[in-house]
Amino acid sequence: MSYLNKSLIDIIEALKNKQVSAKELVEESLLLANKYSKYNPFVTILGDTKVNSEAPLYGVPYALKDNFSTKDILTTGSSNILKDYIPVFDATVVEKLKESGATLIGKTVLDELAMGGTGVSGHTGRVYNPYDPSLNTISGGSSAGSAVAVALGIVPFAIGSDTGDSVRKPAAHCGIVGIKPTYGRISRYGLFPFATSIDHVAYFTRTVRDSAFLLSLLEGSDNKDATASTREGHNYLKDLNTDVKGKKIAVISEIVDCISEPSILSSLDNAISIYKEGGATVERVSVDLNLLRAILPVYMIISCSEATSNNAGLDGINFTSREEGNDFEEVMINSRSKGLGKSVKNRLVLGAYCLDNENIENVFIKAQKVRSLITETINNIFKDYDAILLPASADAAPTFDTLSDRMSDECIIGENHLAIANLGGFPSLTLPYGFKGNLPLGVNLTCKAFDEQTLFNLSAYLESKLPYENMIAKEEEK
Amino acid sequence: MNLEPVIGIEVHCELKTKTKMFSSAPVSFNAVPNSLVQPLDLALPGTLPRVNKRAVEMALLASKALNMEIDNELVFDRKNYFYTDLAKGFQITQDKRPIGRNGYLEIEADGSYKKIRINRLHMEEDTAKQTHFDDYTLIDYNRSGNPLIEIVSGPDIRSAKEACKYIENLRATLLYLGVSDVKMEEGSMRCDINISIKEKGSSVLGTKTEIKNLNSISNVEKAIEYEIERQSKLLQAGKKIIQETRRFDEESKTTVTMRVKNDSLNYKYFREPNIAPIKLSDEYIDQVLSDMPLLPVELNKIYTTKYNLSAYDSEQLLLNKEISDFFNECVKIINEPKLITNFILGDVLAFLNKRGLPISECNLTPNKLADLIKSLVSNAISSKQAKIVLNELLESDKSVEQIIKEKGLVQISDENEIRTLVNIVLSDNKNAVKDYLGGKTNILGFLVGQVMKLSKGKANPELANTLILEEINKLN
Repeated sequence: MSYLNKSLIDIIEALKNKQVSAKELVEESLLLANKYSKYNPFVTILGDTKVNSEAPLYGVPYALKDNFSTKDILTTGSSNILKDYIPVFDATVVEKLKESGATLIGKTVLDELAMGGTGVSGHTGRVYNPYDPSLNTISGGSSAGSAVAVALGIVPFAIGSDTGDSVRKPAAHCGIVGIKPTYGRISRYGLFPFATSIDHVAYFTRTVRDSAFLLSLLEGSDNKDATASTREGHNYLKDLNTDVKGKKIAVISEIVDCISEPSILSSLDNAISIYKEGGATVERVSVDLNLLRAILPVYMIISCSEATSNNAGLDGINFTSREEGNDFEEVMINSRSKGLGKSVKNRLVLGAYCLDNENIENVFIKAQKVRSLITETINNIFKDYDAILLPASADAAPTFDTLSDRMSDECIIGENHLAIANLGGFPSLTLPYGFKGNLPLGVNLTCKAFDEQTLFNLSAYLESKLPYENMIAKEEEK
Repeated sequence: MNLEPVIGIEVHCELKTKTKMFSSAPVSFNAVPNSLVQPLDLALPGTLPRVNKRAVEMALLASKALNMEIDNELVFDRKNYFYTDLAKGFQITQDKRPIGRNGYLEIEADGSYKKIRINRLHMEEDTAKQTHFDDYTLIDYNRSGNPLIEIVSGPDIRSAKEACKYIENLRATLLYLGVSDVKMEEGSMRCDINISIKEKGSSVLGTKTEIKNLNSISNVEKAIEYEIERQSKLLQAGKKIIQETRRFDEESKTTVTMRVKNDSLNYKYFREPNIAPIKLSDEYIDQVLSDMPLLPVELNKIYTTKYNLSAYDSEQLLLNKEISDFFNECVKIINEPKLITNFILGDVLAFLNKRGLPISECNLTPNKLADLIKSLVSNAISSKQAKIVLNELLESDKSVEQIIKEKGLVQISDENEIRTLVNIVLSDNKNAVKDYLGGKTNILGFLVGQVMKLSKGKANPELANTLILEEINKLN
């Protein structure tokens, strides 16, 4: 009997009742990891690791995005420049999961150095959406492999990182739950930095209850991360309350209005009706269209600028892959030219441009000001509403060979508004709420900073009224 | 043309903290290469900086000592550039908000005092140390991330001599604060000199050059003198100065071109996102500054007025912080500043110089020197005996009491006992007594000597002197 198709909380229960052993679980997980290799979610598949039988996640297999530092285990960031890098220390989340007894079964593929939203730019090749066995559809990224591993039931949860929407977008495309808690909730120590001020440790589960349960294990202050919050933790699962009566939910008109896909709009209407049935108020609010159009450029300017600096140490000198040259400049240029992919290079050049003495005032500093304006605007909505409800994307996952009109509002706003939560540090969760053909669709809820409890409450209510809880992508039997 | 130089000095100073500016790796000079390294110092991905509180406190002390305005919020920036000694590809520093600004340091030049403005004092981290060979370079990351303060003077210095005075004063100030070893030869204090020449009285500045690689104050003096001459000659010949970085070449005692400075240096400064601005409360700043040690200027005032030491003696004590600390300790135990000074600047320093030892590594402690002085002022031993005891204190780890006992150095100050000895001497030396009474008063010394000899050196010579006079006068 399989247990990995169950939710995390049910798996823990089964382990406790000795219906299944830790060994059996890990073996099944590894079997599935190999069985589904055609979707390419893993950079590295590991064997078993030592577990602590007293711990809450004893025996539970999990997967980890390959941009988290793991002591003595290859960690590549899905980049050629780090293809042989073996860290000497564990990220704080890895340490916490080790102490909790979870078993790391594999390191998952990402868009190179987390820069991307498709899952196609990892150095070990594309990641494929498990809902399309013909392998034409993207999984979304950058936390592509982690999303796929959870969607396929290889693991009940997986860790990712979310800088623009890198967990919440692939969660939508793969029919699972993805959360990015408040900035500072989970220590970033050991996460390879992409854009420090908007990088978040985030994760995937298949149920909201699992998501709530895990945050209590992962959150907390960390003396290794000066930006980690010192607020006390919560037992989110225990305090979970799905009564939404009297709750106020906002829907931003200008974002919904730029979306044309009928399956998305009908799923959203359905979700709104469900909330109203539960006694919540759902109202449309208006935000300046120009401010919404600024989200993507502000995100690009800030993320690329910080990325340029954060990745400057990948220079072929002391731990990255080195290409030789006649002097140090040649070594650096050759190592970076060969070790970094095109999309990363584009972003690093863009970042260097934004920070250049000539441009910094007009580009980088201005972007910071607009960022404050966006955050302030959203915080004003939170004065009157408990949450903002929006489609996580403007359409289902695209195929590898289709490119949307990148200059349309549908793309600029509809596909990029999730970055609001990164710019403002808000907790934000995506869960499945419909299908377009065989592809799942995700809806997103965002709450004010440090109000994850409300986020879980509202999400769990919606989940309970929809048939997508603990959904697993199944290969059709041939 | 009547020309004058305009000189500004940038000083980098390594702080004497236990650990690095942003990592927990220990700070130490001369350790085995790459033995003091944490993942952050190598810029391994995922590592994050944590601000060293002690370094902040030291920067606060230095800012205060240099009469600066203190920023009550701690803000760090990134300075981005690629170089092999810079593991992260950026340096965490303070660009827009230095912890201290608008201060000054007073120097004495040609008998009058002059204030040299200090524009800013900021905190930053050091780079790794490189050793270049013909076809390879070795990198030692022990220095990577060491805490530094950079102190930037205003363009107020007008001569090599003033520059040296400024550096010496700054050095002594930081040393007495206990924030740095300030050893130029070990690189814990590094000076870069900006120098240009302008027409006297003119407010138009000339093109400046920057001189690096100065590892002693005497090299600073030589480099500036050379550079003033070089630039003046060029200007007088109607030639232009090129804005460049020059290096002092020790062998030729000249400055040579290192690199021509490009105006478009582009460091892409931006706020360090891993460290949120840290508010420094007034209470915290006050508490840190209340621990402020006395500075050389203040100590000099105490030495010369309260302790009545000569200006020369005071200066000699203050030349070396360890010596001045030792002196301060002694004065605390026994209030005999003049005697303490005489011992320290006399036999003690002579001994230390001969052995090449710092005072902390010799056997003498402030307590022992105080014991010795107690014995001397209570007339338990003579000053001649004190010298013998001091010598033994420096050579062995014995106590004053032990040495006096072992050497039998107890001074006889009992009047009756000495009077008996005096009478013996007077009756044994009738001719001398006669000579004395005949007017040869300088023979008194001979008689005292005889008493000392008879007492095997233990008689109190002053008392012997008095009693001889008394007894001779009786014979008169």
